[in-house]
Amino acid sequence: MKKMGLREFLFILPILLLIGVFSLWPVVQSFTYTFFDYQLNDQTKSGLYLNERFNVDVYNETAFYVERFLDRSDITAEEDKQTVEQVVEKLNNVTSQLEGKEGVIEIDNELKTDIQESYTTTSKAIETLSEKYELQREQELPALVKDLDNSLIESNFIGFQGYIKAFNDDRVHTAFINTFVFTIVSVAFELVLGLGMALIMNKGMRGQGFIRTASLIPWALPTAVGALMWSYLYDGGYGIVAKIFADIGLIAEANDLMQTATGAMSAAILADIWKTTPYMAILLLAGLQTIPKSLYEAGSIDGASKFQQFFRITLPLLKPSILVALLFRTLDAFRVFDLIYVLTNGGPGGSTETLSIYSYKAMFGQTNFGYGSVIVMIMFVCVAIIAIIFVRVLGTNLMEKN
Amino acid sequence: MAQQPNHPDAPKSKWPFLLLLTFYLVVVVFPFFWILVTSFKSSGEIFGDNAFGVVPENPTLEHYASVILDKGILRAVWNSLIVSFTTTVYIILVATFAAYAISRFEFKGKSVLLGLVLAVSMFPQMIVIGPIYNLFIDLGWANSYWIVLPYSSITLPMAVWILVTHFNQIPLALEESARMDGATPFQTLFRIVFPLAAPGVFTTAIIVFIIAWNEFVLTITINSQSEYHTVPVAISFLRTQFEILWGEVAAATVIVTIPTLLIVLFFQRQIVSGLTSGGVKE
Repeated sequence: MKKMGLREFLFILPILLLIGVFSLWPVVQSFTYTFFDYQLNDQTKSGLYLNERFNVDVYNETAFYVERFLDRSDITAEEDKQTVEQVVEKLNNVTSQLEGKEGVIEIDNELKTDIQESYTTTSKAIETLSEKYELQREQELPALVKDLDNSLIESNFIGFQGYIKAFNDDRVHTAFINTFVFTIVSVAFELVLGLGMALIMNKGMRGQGFIRTASLIPWALPTAVGALMWSYLYDGGYGIVAKIFADIGLIAEANDLMQTATGAMSAAILADIWKTTPYMAILLLAGLQTIPKSLYEAGSIDGASKFQQFFRITLPLLKPSILVALLFRTLDAFRVFDLIYVLTNGGPGGSTETLSIYSYKAMFGQTNFGYGSVIVMIMFVCVAIIAIIFVRVLGTNLMEKN
Repeated sequence: MAQQPNHPDAPKSKWPFLLLLTFYLVVVVFPFFWILVTSFKSSGEIFGDNAFGVVPENPTLEHYASVILDKGILRAVWNSLIVSFTTTVYIILVATFAAYAISRFEFKGKSVLLGLVLAVSMFPQMIVIGPIYNLFIDLGWANSYWIVLPYSSITLPMAVWILVTHFNQIPLALEESARMDGATPFQTLFRIVFPLAAPGVFTTAIIVFIIAWNEFVLTITINSQSEYHTVPVAISFLRTQFEILWGEVAAATVIVTIPTLLIVLFFQRQIVSGLTSGGVKE
């Protein structure tokens, strides 16, 4: 064994780069997003603005038009002339400070006060003048003047407000509960059924190859394809599974399967169980095959029943395999996206909306990257907690292989 | 219940198991069978009297013609092949180097690297989507095959994990004698370790290929133009029409299932070995 030198470092450089750029940096970035009111479709919020910023171009253009509109020969009264002069002076005060600058810049407090003053002075002036004179485009002027103020872009840093909003958001609560129900029910069924199938396959009957192939296809099939297949089988009008369920009385009408909350959730869970139980079975079968046969022989000589053999030999020795399979399945189920996106898209009425579906809708439906990231971060914390619990239970099993 | 394999058991006690096994196979295979049947039915049958019939009355290929000619499903298959193949090649290269270093070298931060790899495999994928979307928009990489780079966040951890297990099973002695003969670490890797690890590397490649083939979220968000859609994304767009044409859905599903079916048929041994060395074998 060697110490790490340059050559050893070169071996791990590519993986460090890839993980750094495409896994770790995005996580840090997502975390940053959560502290901003970051919305792509809103000009003033489409970036992460820690400080207040100022749009020079908008201000200059507005100031130019305001001055033109006020530059009139018919304003004769001395006090009105003074008002206009005051406005021009205030505007020039700001524009002179902006000379040579363009685009969006950061500004200090002094300039900010000047800008706000120029806005209040101008809007008051417009108000008084428009009472006495017929100003050009009088209807549009207030909106134009407002642009002087709009050129100030407030910081969209919101601290923990995104998290506070999420904790009080009923839709997050529902999504959270849906995710948990989906995870616990589907993984529980998959474990029990998968273990049963593994035990049966372990009997070493003929046709193992065929059984294994058949088991692998649902796992290898893209989830989106599987989900679309099931959405046909579940269809209220023409889906055979919906019809069978209605015929044997599981549901009142074939339509209920996808159009009621429990129906849709059960349908999603069932599709997940169909896709993943064979995978679970194969993982557990591999675990079963590492248990020495001699243990069972010794067990049966000592007069242990099959039942006792299962609980005293199989289960304890299979525990590490079960826990590893459970860990990865639980995390997968918790992150479920493709299946529900294609099958129900969270419907009906949000009854199957999971955290990942909600975060996706917030980010790409409402282009609200800030709030979407908050939901993702909640998921992240849940996943971390689940992983920590499992790793605690697993002890060092997972790492000591290496 | 648990019993040793190949035990010459009394034949009658096998019947309940056989029955269960048959039921299991029927449940697993039935959806595929039904989709295959539907793909040959005419729309009139699918949405009419023969909706629940097992035999198509007037078998037709119209749905296949429609998804291939109008919906461009083959384009999606082609994209999926390009994307999955590219991902597999570069991920295997990167993961092989990393796994070899983890398996053979002793260096500071090795356990940190392993922990990192494990942690990345546990991330909710949604966490990287937002920043990567912005990055790709800024770089002008949206709607391109550059999408294979962020695929690393879902494939790399699995690949490293499987490869480390395989490298650990290769005896050190061979490499040491190679080193004594003056081979550099890179030479040792490519001349000695790689040939010996070939089965493991191949297993890993198959698993990576399948994971890349099934990727959904990255493609649907970043490659929104249909000419860059992969199979899962193209399929999902058949669902979001106002009226769902189940005949076309069925035909498309049959077409895109064929590659998966072939991979499973030819490489089931590798797949099972890859899946189980990912964590189960102690």
